[in-house]
Amino acid sequence: MSDPVDLDIGLGILDHQLVDGDGRNCGKVDDLELSSLDSDSPEVVAILVGGNAWRSRGILGRLLARLAGDAVHVPWGEVDSVTSVVRLKRPAAELRLNRGDARWASVIRRVPGS
Amino acid sequence: MSLKSVLAVALGILSAIGGFVDIGDLVFNTQAGAVFGFQLLWVVVIGVVGIVVYSEMCGRVSAVAGRPVFDLVRERVGFGPGLATLLAAEFVNLLTCAAEIGGAAICLQLLSGLSYRLLIPLAVIGLVVCSWVLPFEWIERVFGYLGLCLLVFAVAAIKLHPSWGQVARGFIPGSHTGGGLTLYLYFVVGLLGAALTPYEVYFYSSGAVEDSWGLKELGLNKVTAMIGYGLGGFLSMALMIVAGVLFLHRGISPQFLGTPPLAVEHVLSQVGLVLALIGILFAVGGAAIETSFSGAYNLAQFFGWQWGKRERPAGASRFTLSWVAIFAVAFLVVLTGYDPVKLTEYSVIFSVVALPLTYLPILLVANDRAYMGTRVNGRLANVFGVIYLVILLAVAAGAIPLLLITHGGQG
Amino acid sequence: MRLSELLGRRIVSSSGLSLGRIHDVRAELIHGRLRLTGLVAGELGVLERYGIGTRGNGGATRAKIHGHPVIPWSRVVRVSSEVIVRD
Repeated sequence: MSDPVDLDIGLGILDHQLVDGDGRNCGKVDDLELSSLDSDSPEVVAILVGGNAWRSRGILGRLLARLAGDAVHVPWGEVDSVTSVVRLKRPAAELRLNRGDARWASVIRRVPGS
Repeated sequence: MSLKSVLAVALGILSAIGGFVDIGDLVFNTQAGAVFGFQLLWVVVIGVVGIVVYSEMCGRVSAVAGRPVFDLVRERVGFGPGLATLLAAEFVNLLTCAAEIGGAAICLQLLSGLSYRLLIPLAVIGLVVCSWVLPFEWIERVFGYLGLCLLVFAVAAIKLHPSWGQVARGFIPGSHTGGGLTLYLYFVVGLLGAALTPYEVYFYSSGAVEDSWGLKELGLNKVTAMIGYGLGGFLSMALMIVAGVLFLHRGISPQFLGTPPLAVEHVLSQVGLVLALIGILFAVGGAAIETSFSGAYNLAQFFGWQWGKRERPAGASRFTLSWVAIFAVAFLVVLTGYDPVKLTEYSVIFSVVALPLTYLPILLVANDRAYMGTRVNGRLANVFGVIYLVILLAVAAGAIPLLLITHGGQG
Repeated sequence: MRLSELLGRRIVSSSGLSLGRIHDVRAELIHGRLRLTGLVAGELGVLERYGIGTRGNGGATRAKIHGHPVIPWSRVVRVSSEVIVRD
C-alpha cells in the first residue's frame, strides 16, 4: 500500500463485490468484523461472507441467516486492494469461499454440454 | 462506419424489434383494441419512450461501469432495499416466465394440433436445451430474428384498411367510448406494465456485459434502444389496430391466445396464420428465456456469485442452477392448467406494482459519478427518468384497485 | 463486534448531549490494515440511505465518503449500547 486512503466503510466496502486472486466473483462483503474498539487503534479485522453474516442486517437478513450455515471469516490481511470491488490476494477455494458453486458444479458436470 | 459495423448495428436493431413483444403485450394490446379500438394507442407511445429511456440508461451503465445495473443495486441502496427489490423482481419474473411458457405451448398447439398439456413440458424442455447449449449471442439472434415474423401483424393492419384518421386520433388521450373510465384506466395500467417490464431492462443490462460492451458501444446502445425498441413499439400498435378493426364492433373478446393469429389468417390466409404463430412462438419463447435468465442474473448479482452465459454451465453453477430452477417452478405453475391469459394479466399487473422499486435504482446508479464518471445522466435523461418514475408511482398505486374494480378487465 | 451492529447506534457526549446516530465509520487504509479513524455522525435521512448527497472522492480507490461531520475516534470513550464520546 502506498499513501493512506480515507474511506467510509459502510458506503465504500460493505455490500461491495468480492473478487478473488483469479478475478472470479466470490460473494459480497456481507459484514465486517471490528476489533479493539476500546483501544486507540480500532480496526477492521475480517470480512464476513455468506451464511449467518446476515443476522444483523435487518429482519429479512435474520430470516435468511436462519436458513444458512456459518459465515466465512476472511482476515483483512487477505485483501489486496479496495476499489469499487474488494480484491483478494488468493483464489476463492483457499479462503473457503464459493463453496456453493463448487458443490453444485459436480452435479452440473454430469449433464452433457456443461 | 465500416460495412461490418453497420451490419452489426442493423442486426442488433432487428433482434431488438423481434424481441420487443411478449405475451403481456400480445394480450393487453389485443384486448385494448377489442374494447376501445384505437383510443389507447397513445399509451403504447408512452410505454415505448419509457423503455427506450431506461434501456439506454441500463446499457450505458453496463458499458461504462463494466457491471450490470442490478449488480450495483445492493452496494448502492443497501442490503435491505436491495433484497426487497430482489424479492419483488423474482416473484414477477416467475409469474411472467410461466405466462410466456403457457403462450408458447398454445402456439405449439395451434401449429401442431397436439394437446396443450403434452406441449407444456415439450416447450420447457426446448427452451432449457436452447438456453443450455446455445451461446448468448445465438439465443438473442435465433429468437430475435424469428420473432420478426410478427411483422405479419403490421402487414395485416395495413391490409385491413383501418380509418387512418381514427387511428391518428388514437394518439390523443381522452375519449373512451366503448367502456367505462375504470376499464379504460385498467388498460392504461396494463399496457404500460406490458411495455415497461423490468426483466427486459435488467436482461438488457446483463446482456450488454455478456456481449462485453465498452465505451465503444455507447453509440450502439443508443441506437439499439431507440430504433430497436421504437420500431418494436409499432408491432404493439399493429396488434391493437388489427384487434380494433376485426374485434371491436363484433363483440369478440380475445380471451383466447389463438385469437390474434386467427385474425391474421382472416386477412392473409394460411401463410399469414403460420407466420403469426411462428412470430409469437419465438417472441414469447425468447421472453421466457429472458425472464428466467433475468431472475438468475438478479440472484447471482445480489449475492455476488460468478454469473453469465460466457461461462460454461459448470463454471457458474449457482447461476445455472438458478435459471433452470426458475424454468422448473414456472413449468409447475403452468402445469396447474391455470388459464394462460389470466396468468399473463396477473403477471403484468403485479409487475406494475413493483415497477417504481425496480426502476428507481436504475436512475440512481446512472447518476452516480463513482460508477459512471463523466457519462452520468445528462439533463434530458434525468428529466425523462424522473417523469417516468412519477408515472410509475401513479400507475403502481392504481394497479391493484383497478384490477379488482374491473374484475380483471371484464368491465 | 460487527459493523452492522455499530451502525445506527446513538452517539452521546459525556455531558449527555445527543450527537445523532452513527451513519458510517471513517477508516484509513494503510500498510495493509484498515484502521478506524472516526465516526460519521448525523441523523439518518431517507434520501441519504439511497446515497443522494454523498460525494465520491473520485480518487484511485473510487471509494466514497459522506459529506457529513466526522467525530475522530480519539474522542470515543466507550462503545456500548450507545457510543459515548468526550466533549
